[in-house]
Amino acid sequence: MVPPVGSAAIKSGSSDAKAWLLLLPALAFLAVFFLVPLGQVVFFSVMDPGFTLKHYTSFLSDSFYWRVLWGTFQTAGIVTIFALLMSYPLAYMIVRMGGHFATVMLLIIAMSFWTSFLVRTFAWMVILGNNGPLRAILEAFGWSPAPQLLFTRFSSTLAMVHLLIPFMVLALYSVMKKIDMNFVRAARSLGATPFQAFHRVFLPLSAPGIVNGCTLVFIMCLGFYVTPVLLGSPREQMIAGLIGTQIEEFLEFGEASATSVILLLVTLAIFAIYNRFVGLDKLWG
Amino acid sequence: MNLVLAFALVVALFVVGPLLIVVPMSFSTATSFEFPPPGYWLGYYRAFFADARWTQPVINSIGIGLATMLLTILLVIPASFAMVRQRFFGRSAVNLMLMMPMIVPHIVMALGYYSYFSHLKIIHSPLGVVLAHTCLSVPVSYLIIAAALKGFDRNLERAAMNLGAGPLRTFWEVTFPVLRPGFLIGGLFAFIHSFDEAVVAIFISGQAASTLPRKMFDSIRIEADPIISVVSTLLFGVVLLAVISPLIWRVVVKRPV
Repeated sequence: MVPPVGSAAIKSGSSDAKAWLLLLPALAFLAVFFLVPLGQVVFFSVMDPGFTLKHYTSFLSDSFYWRVLWGTFQTAGIVTIFALLMSYPLAYMIVRMGGHFATVMLLIIAMSFWTSFLVRTFAWMVILGNNGPLRAILEAFGWSPAPQLLFTRFSSTLAMVHLLIPFMVLALYSVMKKIDMNFVRAARSLGATPFQAFHRVFLPLSAPGIVNGCTLVFIMCLGFYVTPVLLGSPREQMIAGLIGTQIEEFLEFGEASATSVILLLVTLAIFAIYNRFVGLDKLWG
Repeated sequence: MNLVLAFALVVALFVVGPLLIVVPMSFSTATSFEFPPPGYWLGYYRAFFADARWTQPVINSIGIGLATMLLTILLVIPASFAMVRQRFFGRSAVNLMLMMPMIVPHIVMALGYYSYFSHLKIIHSPLGVVLAHTCLSVPVSYLIIAAALKGFDRNLERAAMNLGAGPLRTFWEVTFPVLRPGFLIGGLFAFIHSFDEAVVAIFISGQAASTLPRKMFDSIRIEADPIISVVSTLLFGVVLLAVISPLIWRVVVKRPV
């Protein structure tokens, strides 16, 4: 925050007018090239050609769509839980060990973080493929013939955990590195076991990182398109994949728009809950 | 404690292992995705550089990324000045507006752009992709540039003005040079965001303006083209270089002569 002291010496004229003038290019651009297309999606979801709610009623009355929605939630939940369970110990060790260990681990995380989703999805395509190493290993251990791995819910879930772990680790790490380890030492010297010191002191202090990481990963997973479409089961689509199919194969813009609005509302609801309890600026602060 | 450390190492291996598999794949002689490779050669590298169906999307992506970068920082820099330095009515609403493109799922925007740009007749054109990517890059660029601006010591400006510089001269000779690294990083993030963006590009870039992520998506989904492993290795190599070069630099510079 900028202190107001002395700023009057630099500013001249009406500061409100100046602010809006500086904001004008960005706001006008976003209005024309972001809000209008977004508004169109909402508009088309209730028009055909006159006002109608049939796209929503056909979505809400069809058990197929409910299964997609529920499956998407389930997958996002599973991915979030696994990403958290795997990332927490890693982030914790990075903070505890420090030094070269932390440098190497953060390097690995950064490497994965910056590598395109498509490259990483392709890597899983090879690993899980019919001629891939994982099936060969399973068969070497006597599971013959090994089960089909690719194009299942398992494959897309596994790949998404892998893709989103760096986000989770970074969210946890940014909170954990600010925790004062003297609190943990104080608990130990007052007679707490190492586990109690962790469970009663460190874990609650790291809770904001857990909330941030889980919110971020869950929301990214809800709207995930590329990986579930390439690796997942075509019969158990996630909601983003369903929108893609509605556009590409059926050219059903009304239905695609209604599905999009439902995804949008769910996403906004999660952000609103987060904003209510934590404050939105903390998510990317 | 040792158990936790062992688990952390296993997770690290899980994170890095799958990335490394693309490297041997790119030298493989196999005609489909097969691991371990039956033999090694450089044929797919030659094929990649000779094939316009692959090199054109690379050129498209770089051009679209650069245009997006330029447009994004031109919009974001003045907006950041207003947001960081001014207090005005409606500021938090504007903040939400600037962050909005990060909140809305990309698939929703892909649908929106698909119909909107068809209507404007700029679908399947680089221009459409640049306009869409600029919107999507505004939040990340704004976060970085606003953060740089918050850290700026305004006493520097006051000193310049006390010494008789006008507001414009103060901006060009004091404010801008100090903030330039922040602006560049904000621009770089916009470029990377555009270069990596897949979902919107898949739906609106078409054949003519196909970006590299779109080409890769099609290649995996439809063709199972082994050249994808070459592209993946090259992209991974660039990231690897970018991530470890600061480290190497530090080691080299620190070493006593």
